[in-house]
Amino acid sequence: MKIVVCIKQVPKSDSVKIDPKTNNMVRDNVEGVINPFDKNAIEEALRIKDQLGGEVILLSMGPDGYMSSLRDGLAMGADRAILLSSRAFGGADTLATGYPISQAIKKIGGVDLVLLGRQSVDADTGQVGPIVAEYLNVPQVTFAEELRFVDEHTLYGQRLLDGATQSVQVTLPAVVTVRSELNTPRYETPVNIQTSFEKPIDVWTEHDLDLDATRIGQAGSPTTVQKVYAPKREGRQTVQLSDDSATAVKELLARIRN
Amino acid sequence: MENQEKMAASMLHRMVREFTENELAPLDMEIDAQGDYPQGLFQKVIDNGLLTMTLPREYGGAGFSYDSVAKAIHLMAIGNASMAVTLEGHFKTLEQLLKYGDQRLKDEYLTSAAHRIFAFSQTESSGGSNPRGIATRAVKSGDDWIITGDKIMITNGGLAQVYCVLAKTEDDQMAVFVVDQDMPGFSFGKREDFIGLRGTPVGEIVMDHIKVPGYHLLGQIGQGLEIGNNAHDDARILMGAVLTGIMEHELQIAVDYSKQRKALDTPLYELQTIQEKISEIAIARQNTELLYQHAAQLKITGQSYAQVAAMAKSYGSRSAVRCGDMALQVLAGYGYSREYPIEHLIRDARAMEIAEGTVERMSGEIALKQVNQ
Repeated sequence: MKIVVCIKQVPKSDSVKIDPKTNNMVRDNVEGVINPFDKNAIEEALRIKDQLGGEVILLSMGPDGYMSSLRDGLAMGADRAILLSSRAFGGADTLATGYPISQAIKKIGGVDLVLLGRQSVDADTGQVGPIVAEYLNVPQVTFAEELRFVDEHTLYGQRLLDGATQSVQVTLPAVVTVRSELNTPRYETPVNIQTSFEKPIDVWTEHDLDLDATRIGQAGSPTTVQKVYAPKREGRQTVQLSDDSATAVKELLARIRN
Repeated sequence: MENQEKMAASMLHRMVREFTENELAPLDMEIDAQGDYPQGLFQKVIDNGLLTMTLPREYGGAGFSYDSVAKAIHLMAIGNASMAVTLEGHFKTLEQLLKYGDQRLKDEYLTSAAHRIFAFSQTESSGGSNPRGIATRAVKSGDDWIITGDKIMITNGGLAQVYCVLAKTEDDQMAVFVVDQDMPGFSFGKREDFIGLRGTPVGEIVMDHIKVPGYHLLGQIGQGLEIGNNAHDDARILMGAVLTGIMEHELQIAVDYSKQRKALDTPLYELQTIQEKISEIAIARQNTELLYQHAAQLKITGQSYAQVAAMAKSYGSRSAVRCGDMALQVLAGYGYSREYPIEHLIRDARAMEIAEGTVERMSGEIALKQVNQ
């Protein structure tokens, strides 16, 4: 089983500051840590490896400072890491992030499973996982709170959504984004901390990937951040319609008319 | 390389801090009340590799330097001093196997030190600081030794599986042997019911004609006292670290309370008498950290460190008891209550005015060194 875990480095403290000019996160001089949900993704990858064997590869995109988070992931037990790092990738939105990441996964080759945290705790979009799945053209399971293998090619996942759970089954290769309910990440151990320095962290630039240069970095990003604010939570409700399609249509029409 | 060592040490300290905050600190009061580690807690320590910190890489360990490990012990002691002392007892013993052990002994035993606890046993009912009076005997029998005697007040006694035992040979020479709990003739005696560090098991072992292979001798016959003293010196560095952690805990409690509590609409910390106590605790904590770190630096650079290690333990233990008393006074009635941990921190610190050589003995060693140099 070849598993890629995409991780993001996020600021450690709660004192996240926003640059008023760019509306982007100020990341200078802030200690970076692995996005907490990504640690759940690493943990799940390591458990699958413990069970089925294989390799766990960490993948991230960012400046050199992201090495420390990749090192932490290696100290949890991952086998190797790749950092996509170049000024050309800078200022990317989620689409221009998901694109080079998916190209890197293609370059790694033979990947059975891609795991990510359900969202980052700094930007909170939750979009990169689904974008990577679309670029790879593979099935995706988002918000997974439970995962298990039905057989070596089939993965069962339970998605925890607002007010509902959904059970899905996908054929590998697939992309899965995970929730914190899935597992408790292990500690780095003293021995693994030392061996993490013996594991390779490869740095790939835009020249190492088969890329359309107009689709990366700030120039390749169709979105820009206008404002960061906490949205008001509207009282939405998920309704389960009947399994019978004729009845379901009637129920749906009745709800639309009301 | 130096940068890599720093990064690795920083990762270790963060890991120990997280482990302590999540696994040990929440159980601190329970460990004191129960007088033992809860079921499964020590296994978590093993499973997360914490016994491997000082163990060299060739024996399956992490091979961190003694100063980095001392800092890790300090961080652990902020959350629970008992577990920090359990690790101190393990690490000081491993140091003696590494320094004095035969290669065959190291290959056989150190490769298991990631999941087995090691302990150093010197004290007998005849006395702790007077090892010449011990009654444990080692009698040569072909290539082997036959060891008979009782050892008491062993840190980790009952928890540890491997014991370094100080014994006297037939010609009254002191020697240290490695004894395994699985050897015929080995049994555990009573566990002490101490008032502090109540999680750390301190107990007795009984050796009834235990046959020990010749290569289980540490160093040479006649080196027993040197090895015992070396174990004390190594332990005292880590005790300074434990005491720094205890004082840090005392400081945190006093500072937090002084911010929350008001006297006549004024937060306590604005009162000069309270400030004096907080500053004294902070200074003593800082001084003890500097002492244990300096002693560790001397050790890892191959210089004489016994004197500074004794200072770290002596100054640290006296300070931690006194600082506990000051923190208690800041909290007044609450400080005197068992609902707050200060009273048990004082009991914990008090143990280290005695263990690994009493503070009186430290004073003697430090003073004579000053007089004779």
